[in-house]
Amino acid sequence: MRNGFLTGMLMFASISSIFAQKEDSVMTGTLDEVVVRSSYKRTCSLNTVQHVDVLEKTFFREHFTGNLTQTLGHIPGVHSMDIGAGFSKPMIRGMGFSRISVIENGIKQEGQQWGADHGLEMDAFGVGRVTVRKGPSSLLYGSDAMGGAIEITQIPPPSENQWLGEVDLLGKSVNGTLGASLMVGCKKGGWFSKFRFSEQHFGDYHVPTDTVVYLTQRLPIEGEKLKNTAGLERDASWYVDYRKGRYQANVAVSDAYQKVGFFSGAHGIPDAAQLKDDGNSRDIDLPYSTVNHLKLTAHQQYGWGRTFGYLDLGFQNNHREEWSLFHTHYGTQTPPETNPNKELEFSLNTFSLSLKIRNFSHDNWEHTSGCDFQYQENEIGGYSFLLPEYDRLMCGLLWLSTWKPTSKLSFSGGIRYDHGRLNIAAYQDIYLAAYLSGQGYGGDVLESYRWRSYAVERDFGDFSGSLGCVWNPVASTLFKMNVGRSFRLPGANELASNGMHHGTFRHEQGNASLATEQGWQLDISYTYECNGLYFMLTPFGSWFSNYIYLKPTGEWSILPHTGQIYRYTEAQVTFVGLEMEFSVNFLRHFTYKVDGEYVRSRNLDEHIPLPFSPPASMCNSVAWQKKYFRIYAEWQGVMAQHEESRNEESTPGYNLWNMGATFNIPISKTELELTLSAQNILDNRYYNHLSFYRKMEIPEPGRNFQLLIKVPFKIKKK
Amino acid sequence: MKTSLKILNLCLLAVSFYAFSSCDDDKNDGDVTKPIINLEEPAEGDTLKIGAGIHFEMELSDDEMLKSYKVDIHSNFDGHVHSESLKVASGTVDFTYNHSWDVSGKKNTHIHHHEIVIPVDATPGKYHLMVYCTDEAGNESYIARNVVLSTEVEDDHDE
Repeated sequence: MRNGFLTGMLMFASISSIFAQKEDSVMTGTLDEVVVRSSYKRTCSLNTVQHVDVLEKTFFREHFTGNLTQTLGHIPGVHSMDIGAGFSKPMIRGMGFSRISVIENGIKQEGQQWGADHGLEMDAFGVGRVTVRKGPSSLLYGSDAMGGAIEITQIPPPSENQWLGEVDLLGKSVNGTLGASLMVGCKKGGWFSKFRFSEQHFGDYHVPTDTVVYLTQRLPIEGEKLKNTAGLERDASWYVDYRKGRYQANVAVSDAYQKVGFFSGAHGIPDAAQLKDDGNSRDIDLPYSTVNHLKLTAHQQYGWGRTFGYLDLGFQNNHREEWSLFHTHYGTQTPPETNPNKELEFSLNTFSLSLKIRNFSHDNWEHTSGCDFQYQENEIGGYSFLLPEYDRLMCGLLWLSTWKPTSKLSFSGGIRYDHGRLNIAAYQDIYLAAYLSGQGYGGDVLESYRWRSYAVERDFGDFSGSLGCVWNPVASTLFKMNVGRSFRLPGANELASNGMHHGTFRHEQGNASLATEQGWQLDISYTYECNGLYFMLTPFGSWFSNYIYLKPTGEWSILPHTGQIYRYTEAQVTFVGLEMEFSVNFLRHFTYKVDGEYVRSRNLDEHIPLPFSPPASMCNSVAWQKKYFRIYAEWQGVMAQHEESRNEESTPGYNLWNMGATFNIPISKTELELTLSAQNILDNRYYNHLSFYRKMEIPEPGRNFQLLIKVPFKIKKK
Repeated sequence: MKTSLKILNLCLLAVSFYAFSSCDDDKNDGDVTKPIINLEEPAEGDTLKIGAGIHFEMELSDDEMLKSYKVDIHSNFDGHVHSESLKVASGTVDFTYNHSWDVSGKKNTHIHHHEIVIPVDATPGKYHLMVYCTDEAGNESYIARNVVLSTEVEDDHDE
């Protein structure tokens, strides 16, 4: 009976990974003997019907860049959409923006993820463990997780009483990054607490070119450095964990601050004069952007018999500002008295609450039910306008069950209903109205342009569901199949925006009658692991009945500096693709690894691809490892992307060569962990199809040498 | 042995996924080719006479069918920073122009006109002249030119 209970718990440990902390607790609290035999990674994989990538210390050490999203871009199927070297947002299987959710400590991170120049605000030094879930996850996380989810969880506290900590130092040559992070923690009895402070400063980044072409104008890049792309990042976090018997609680407070300059060409039409070298490659001049993300989360759980209850609360404030020397196309607008150069400001407050009950009463069954609430309020400021003020309330109810008829086979399924209410405020641009009437426009035309946002009040409700199985016929083989339905609520920008987007130079127009975006996905995963041989194949296909995208309408906008109007429109869309990974150990100390990915999107209404489709790519690496010394060489081949959407450029393919070495040096009672790496060794000039700077023909960063030093320490207490 | 069979099955499955995607290929003929703008006049850096019509001459072409073109002119007095405080002395106004022409039903066309007239009260200085062109499918291309508006300019137009 007891055994059945244990297997039941292990089996479900993460069918959903809803709160990974509690999985840890389940395992370390009750199942110590199982943990020894089965790694977290394997347990997680066995209990999830979708393919999951669990990333831990080794991965982060080798692929550390100081930017979490760029690090995750090394997983097949995951990409990083970059805005220079500073901001990056994740993309999974060709879906990004609001279609991907990032969850930390059980609470979904809410920033300005809809926006093209937003990045994920997260301290890369402080990330313990990441689980990447490719494919529809709105069953677990509600609207927005339809393309996938990235879960960031804490490593469980050490079992013995101790003081512990670490110092990390990072240096990068491509943009002169200097970064450091300090962590101090203490475990005593049921209490564990840790504090971390990280800071990074970087200068303008090196691009292997001396000119870029933008708006048919050739612009000089002086000293092969992209002017004003310098920035800084400062993060602090505090985490407290308490465990007693079957009760567990933790509280986390974190603040992430970033200030990053925009390449002057990213705002307005750049003049050669603006791109003159100012002699300082580390200053952050106008235009620049600042983001501050404050987050508080609290988690509690308790077990009664075979039932566990979990309560999560969260509050977040995402405060983003864009500063740019006051400019306007409309003569009557004067600079504001305070902060005359503050172009845009968004302040998004999010309150989250989630309650879950899990029951393991029957040997072969496990059930989870729960509810989620989220309330958001967005406020705006600045002399320009991009996104309206709005508030949004979301409620969701879910039920998940897992049935394990034999020890080798399990089925999991669930259903979820979400209801959302979105209330968007209207916004009138009086300067634009005055300008247009000065130009002789009136009547309906004037009326349709003066409103930069329309008042929209909408209610949405929709179901998500999934059904899948995990089959583990022999220890080496794992086969999974899952069918899921997911949905997403249209965003405020998709429903109500109207006017020029200052970053894309497009007149973008929302559509208040958009329905919820709905899709079906089938994904299959096969893994084989035995005697140093590893093989993984994950094909997938999805169909969306009404995927929302910006469609060029062919109607000219009368706004200065814009071409035609782009309107958010629904279309039938399919995605198909796969990821593949193969690795083999040979000659005792060598490992060869190859991974690849392919995704193809199709807008069935227009018979064209969707914008921002990641190109097919492949990565080959050979590593030699002996004890704590490891050296590797890597060849990354990215195919040309000719699958471009309307008004998007195709991007040529490229090859990159990277190398690196990691070694540990024992010093007194600790070990110094050194990681030295070189990226783009040949200093190739290449373009990233997914980069915000792609359309300005700005190449990606050139050759980079990087050094990461980690000094962990530990003092045992009596 | 069993495992290799499974791998084979999986590969077959993958192939069928591709087959599914390539079926779609047959219909993949949405037009994504942009029209081509060859703007002959005004040229980059040209000085345009205030009070006169702009000598405008260009070739437009598209692989499928053209739709429309638009000309947008606006001031660029301080490297594209236009603010009230920087405005030149009163008595003149910033020249702004926004007009579109229909060229639908054609694959190629030669445009030549003097319809864009710079009013006599236009503020002299640096301006941007942009030409946008769309085709039937919504593919769009544009070209930007730096021009200077001035009251003193030799008339070198060949009509």
